[in-house]
Amino acid sequence: MPYNIESATLGAVSLALDAASLRHQAISSNIANAGTPGYRPVAVSFEEHLGALRAALSSRGTVDASLLAASSARVEREPEKAGGTEEASRVAVDEQVAQLSQNAVHYQALLRALNKQYSILSIAINEGKR
Amino acid sequence: MDYRSAFQISASGMTVEKLRVDVTAVNLANVHSTKGADGKLFRPMRVVSHESVGFAATMRHMGFSAALPGAAVASVESVDAPPRMVQDPGNPQADEKGFVAYPGINQVNEMVTLMTAVRAYEANVIAMNVAKTLAVKALEIGGNS
Repeated sequence: MPYNIESATLGAVSLALDAASLRHQAISSNIANAGTPGYRPVAVSFEEHLGALRAALSSRGTVDASLLAASSARVEREPEKAGGTEEASRVAVDEQVAQLSQNAVHYQALLRALNKQYSILSIAINEGKR
Repeated sequence: MDYRSAFQISASGMTVEKLRVDVTAVNLANVHSTKGADGKLFRPMRVVSHESVGFAATMRHMGFSAALPGAAVASVESVDAPPRMVQDPGNPQADEKGFVAYPGINQVNEMVTLMTAVRAYEANVIAMNVAKTLAVKALEIGGNS
């Protein structure tokens, strides 16, 4: 088995962990500004940028650092409404809290994946004993 | 990833919501206040918050394209509400027609503000607790799980 410590899994999982962490901060920021008049919520886009990464992974079976850097998460602010009226903030707190818990579960799933990756490495190091 | 900024964002939200609760309490406490020694009637207050820009520099330093704002108090404004006139000729504060002026505080509005602020505060607490859980989980990377 061609096995590399710097495998695609480690790179991709750390990228996704960074994205989930950033998303948590974005949602926290929306909740903190729930009472701010005229506040436009922020969102994190990540899954949309993974197309190139998927293509490289299926054709070559590996990804390089520059590709990973290009597909990192981005913070985007909801566009200004055409009317531009200074209304109360548009944050739906219930929706944000739902997203928050979904993101937390996703983050923990990613951590589980990372731990599994390390335990595979550990099995290789310990010659399969244990 | 640094979790302290997540804590800061949630904490700033809690600070604002707590001030909102305090100001609502002041308004409700003054529902039956008449003119003070300076001859002025109490004016109901409200908190106006805005995005705090303090995080912008930090986040840019960490390599993110956009800044994630916390919340901050812009001002505590007094509302220009017309006084509530009550017919009470026996009151020493009554005018020549027997009316006493009380602050134009709407209890229903105040209660709605109070409940909204409490719920928003709770949401901030949840966000902070989740950040804590995630940080603890991240510390378990490489453990035997």
